[in-house]
Amino acid sequence: MPDTPVPSTEYSAPREWTRLHPITPLLGGWGILGLVAAYFIYDRLPGWVAGDDPTFDFFDQFPVLWILLAAALGVALVIGAGVLQWSRTEYRIGDDAVYLRQGIVTRQQRQARLDRLQAVDVVQPLLARLAGFAAINIQVAGGQKSGVMLKFLRLGDAEALRNEILYLAAGVTGDDAGGEPGVDVTPVGGDQVAGDRVPGDQVTDATEAAAASSGVLAGLGAQLSERAQALGRPEDVLRGTERVRTRVAAAPEREVYSVPTPRLLLSVLFSGPAVFLIGAPLVSLPFLFLLHVDVFAAVGAVLGTSLVAILSALAGFLGFFWQRINGGFGFTAAVSPDGLRMRHGLTQTRRQTVPPGRVQAIRLYQPLLWRRKDWWRITINVAGYGEDQESVSVLHPVATREEALTAVWLILPDLGDPDPAGTLSLAMTGRGDDGGFLTAPPRSKRIDPIQWRYRGVRATERALLIRSGRFTKELVVVPHERTQSLGLQQGPLDRALGLANVVVHSTQGPVRPRAEHLDMQDAFALLDAQAGRAREGRRRQTPEQWMRAVGL
Amino acid sequence: MTWYEHSSAPWVPVSRRLIRARTITLWIWFGLLIVASSVLALLGDEPLLLIVPAVLVALGLWFSWIIVRQVTAHAWAEAEDELLVRRGRLFRSVTVVPYGRMQFVDVSAGPLQRAFGIAKVQLHTASPHSDASISGVPADEAARLRDRLTTRGEARLAGL
Repeated sequence: MPDTPVPSTEYSAPREWTRLHPITPLLGGWGILGLVAAYFIYDRLPGWVAGDDPTFDFFDQFPVLWILLAAALGVALVIGAGVLQWSRTEYRIGDDAVYLRQGIVTRQQRQARLDRLQAVDVVQPLLARLAGFAAINIQVAGGQKSGVMLKFLRLGDAEALRNEILYLAAGVTGDDAGGEPGVDVTPVGGDQVAGDRVPGDQVTDATEAAAASSGVLAGLGAQLSERAQALGRPEDVLRGTERVRTRVAAAPEREVYSVPTPRLLLSVLFSGPAVFLIGAPLVSLPFLFLLHVDVFAAVGAVLGTSLVAILSALAGFLGFFWQRINGGFGFTAAVSPDGLRMRHGLTQTRRQTVPPGRVQAIRLYQPLLWRRKDWWRITINVAGYGEDQESVSVLHPVATREEALTAVWLILPDLGDPDPAGTLSLAMTGRGDDGGFLTAPPRSKRIDPIQWRYRGVRATERALLIRSGRFTKELVVVPHERTQSLGLQQGPLDRALGLANVVVHSTQGPVRPRAEHLDMQDAFALLDAQAGRAREGRRRQTPEQWMRAVGL
Repeated sequence: MTWYEHSSAPWVPVSRRLIRARTITLWIWFGLLIVASSVLALLGDEPLLLIVPAVLVALGLWFSWIIVRQVTAHAWAEAEDELLVRRGRLFRSVTVVPYGRMQFVDVSAGPLQRAFGIAKVQLHTASPHSDASISGVPADEAARLRDRLTTRGEARLAGL
């Protein structure tokens, strides 16, 4: 390592071992301090609130000076550890993989093979976002922990690296893929493309005036002024649509849908936890009055004794709301030759790129309270996302019927059905065998009294549709060529009724396709047919078709 | 009603030596428990406690019967494009794994299994849910099966 990377605007993905941005130690590692503080509060707060400790004799015991010193020491330790870690973390990019080596005591090297690339995310936690930095998360197929996470880089550099990774993964190799913009990835000015690009476009002119200056100080100055400019448009930063300078231009993208904030907030309000939180006090109030309970005394007693328990229960609920709002805020999906692009997040923004053909299965889900509005929550399986499901596997946090159809079309431009919208509508809210659905036989109501009439399976030429649910509706769509393996299952009750279940094994994720309680002979036939269709699908699979169908 | 049959590929049952291997493992554990509980009952001079080893013996016999039933239901079939694995009596299942979807194949054998000359062949796909393992494949057949599967997998390998 000759020197640290200069934060210059002439970024190109490094072919040599390079360290991440020197700001990294300042942006990461604060979580541990938060944990310490949280433990402290957990430990002390009940005593203070309950009044056992009215004089705060904690502060007498440890004078403020000592506390400040301890805090300073803690901060120094966190930063010191961060610097050490940063100095031992290096990455580089090759034509066929992204390499990362790290570790203070035990060194480990990881590589993310680009031919196994499943998704590339640019993630900005709040602190990094305010400072204009981002982490890049490269997901590859092949077991857990096989991805590579680089944090932190300047936002522009991260975007440029992502563009270059996608460029390489798309099969374009060459000496100058990163150093010089290739013929077909010329950096283009924001104004030039304003006409045919959406406002959410992240590419801006690589030849802006600031680019001229070089060297650490000049680079730093340029960076600061650029940051000041960016923060001058807080709504862009807030919505994650901030424009950044990238060396390799991003593939052009076309926005397909975005989620209005009022709808997102309403959708959270119409959720089970919200109804419980609002409904529980309303239901319990009459009882309290009927039983002549002194409400204030009761509340006071409960607060005094179990404040922490109540706070953590509340935190669970709030966590749910927060996750839904934070994850779905400003949700925007777009198509580009690099694949599906999704952008979302309130404090932590995430810009996801899922290349064509990487979505393994789709699930459309409608809770009971969304029925009136006909809203759907759409989640997907992407190999490599695996663990971190809730925040990253969402294709649409709250879709209208049309948007839901559009979302399915994004993944499967050709459903292989003459009337895709009609078939999907039947698959979403139909019942019985309308539209050629294979249904569960009436005798299955003995073990499945509620939803047996709503179960249905239908294969189009390109995908398998599995419908279920009476009060909460669910539709799972699995493209035939994405079927990993198939299963046939039967428990003793199924057996007594001559029923069987067909399971489609997808990659790890929130979608678990399963057609339940079919007639045994139907299930056997479905298994055979599905194996055949999957075979056919594997022969046909060509990612190029995706772009052709989208028409970019 | 009969259970699923593939149109072309016949089921190959696993080796019945798996019954012996599993029964021995079972009775090693049950034997320890039975001896321990009998000794405790006799030392404590509580004849009523002898019910415990008696129940354990009955349970062990029942589990042994289940092992026989399970192993005789366990089979695999090599179709042209897929491997099929059948298992279970009470909870029956068939798993169909296309060769082109196999990521890798494991062959493993513990000491007892080696003594009986059998091995376990496990197929891995990109899905954590496809439970395609065949226990009790004769050792030489296991090696051949693995090679066959690998060759076919390479010939038909598809992307995820």
